[in-house]
Amino acid sequence: MEASPWDPEGVEVVLGPNGTPTDEACLAGLDLKALYKHLVAARCLDLRLGKMNVPAWASSAGEEAPIVLAGVLAEPSDWIYPGWRDSPGVVAVSAFEDVATMLVQSGQRPSSALRVMLPSDTLGMHLALAAGHAHAQKLDGRRGVTIALFGEGLTTTGIFHETVATAVQCDVPLVLVCKSQLWPDAAPAEAGLLGDTVSERARACGLWSRRVDGADVIAVYMALASALERARDGRGPGLVEAVVTQLHRDVPAHRDPIERMRRLLDHKGLWTQTFQDVVEADIRARLEKAFTRAVNAHEEARA
Amino acid sequence: MMVAEALAERLAELLRSDPRRVVLGEDVRDGGMLGLSRRIVADAALCDRALATPLVPASLIAHAAGLAIGGHPAIVLLHSSSALLEGMAALREAARIPWQSAGAHAMPLTIVAPTGPGFGLGSEQAAVHEAALASVPGLRVAVVSLPEQAVSMLDAAVDFTHDSEPVVLLLPRSIVLAERDEPLRHEPVTPVGVAQVVRDGSRVTVLAWGDTVLPALAAVRELGVDASVVDVRSLAPIDVDTIVNVARTSGRIVIAHSGGPRHGIGAELAALLADQVILHLDGPIVRITGAERPCAPGTESLATPSQQQIADAIERVATY
Repeated sequence: MEASPWDPEGVEVVLGPNGTPTDEACLAGLDLKALYKHLVAARCLDLRLGKMNVPAWASSAGEEAPIVLAGVLAEPSDWIYPGWRDSPGVVAVSAFEDVATMLVQSGQRPSSALRVMLPSDTLGMHLALAAGHAHAQKLDGRRGVTIALFGEGLTTTGIFHETVATAVQCDVPLVLVCKSQLWPDAAPAEAGLLGDTVSERARACGLWSRRVDGADVIAVYMALASALERARDGRGPGLVEAVVTQLHRDVPAHRDPIERMRRLLDHKGLWTQTFQDVVEADIRARLEKAFTRAVNAHEEARA
Repeated sequence: MMVAEALAERLAELLRSDPRRVVLGEDVRDGGMLGLSRRIVADAALCDRALATPLVPASLIAHAAGLAIGGHPAIVLLHSSSALLEGMAALREAARIPWQSAGAHAMPLTIVAPTGPGFGLGSEQAAVHEAALASVPGLRVAVVSLPEQAVSMLDAAVDFTHDSEPVVLLLPRSIVLAERDEPLRHEPVTPVGVAQVVRDGSRVTVLAWGDTVLPALAAVRELGVDASVVDVRSLAPIDVDTIVNVARTSGRIVIAHSGGPRHGIGAELAALLADQVILHLDGPIVRITGAERPCAPGTESLATPSQQQIADAIERVATY
């Protein structure tokens, strides 16, 4: 299969466009079907939200790999600071109820069993908050890590660079997860910074970094797991840059991380149409139940 | 003993009393620009909790807020209140979190910053930013007015027993370096949000805060007028009950504060009294303030109304 303009260069890849792994060892110990279900849940939630006319909402279809894996790989002592587009996907893993309640209540959100912080209203401020929270975890010495998610556009802001400088100086267990679009809408490639990638710029600031293909769930998994392990072991902050492709822009099927993951399952003999139908039906039923319950609770509270 | 030295001692005690508490700032590992972390870094048991950060106000304030969310009450020591304007976005974010999280996250964050004239440097180092800070929803703002209360006000600013919102404690520069003949006593702690009537009287009410309280008291003494002086102290929230009750008694109001008059706390108080005390007023509400424009080094006195200017205003209102 020929590379398309949507395929990034200079990224780590495990799964080829057809879902064929370049290194079977990378799959050892992974529950591929469970991972796939998480991804499908995030996509179903994205589609559900798209029908709700939520103000200022934007689809994150195509960006699921880093978002969902942050939720999958976080341990109970970890915290996640998502951006607005990431918040539903992170909690989609196990808490549709939280997403539903948050959206129905228009902003205010109850405490969650998951350690997912509210998205910040101020552009990029969640990065600095996350660095501070990671500092608290370092002082506590309990191997907790804080993960912050954001898009490449944010890397042109002062708060991004201030956060990197502070995180490096204070040597905190912070993992920054950047979703880079190769061809962002209304902006030059790589946020217009003379061709340097986000991971290269982070490395120049003294930050450990990896750059992976965001359509390759396994590559993102490996890089993020490495970053979390480093931070947990006290080896300092890190940045994982996943080059993602937004699906609403009519991109080749292999740029869809869920489709590429499906091809892997198919390759391994783990995927059937029946499996797909059952997974989707279960997720949609849970989604509808969660939103119905949230709407009813909200209306009861108002009454 | 200087007020700054007393605060430095108290900050070290506060870190001893709560092993989770931390201080942050650009130069806190070197004792801080005002020497406020000097006692902390001199104590081997505490110095690891003096966290030096780059000089990046927005990131610094948000970083401290993150520490607070993570269970470590944080005290940020800034070199100037103007840094709070540079970090305004982070300040707004930190102040919003207790509300936005529906109470799930408290924000035990205290920011200590010098304000107004006093160092002779002029310009931003003599500017008063209190009104901009007090306009941030969810933020509590207090200012030290009497040197002997500096320590107790610090205690109040780090007390999050009953309130979860962050606090900015402003230290007027003319007070923070003031020498005191006697060691500062530990005054009883009055919570942020409470004004204090520092002198009783019924003919005129003077509302003052920060570095205008002592000149106001001196002006009243000099005139021998039967005036009350209220140390407003808490600029957000304003202690409406105390201020309205005292103002209603006299019906003659003078408001004195540093910084320019435009859109200031004085204007807010005048509006409050016009709203709630109008039928008790026997004369116009008079504001006496510093100059509106920036002050050059050597002309810092323009940033604060003098004792004579306050006395003139009291006399004018008393004889209206």
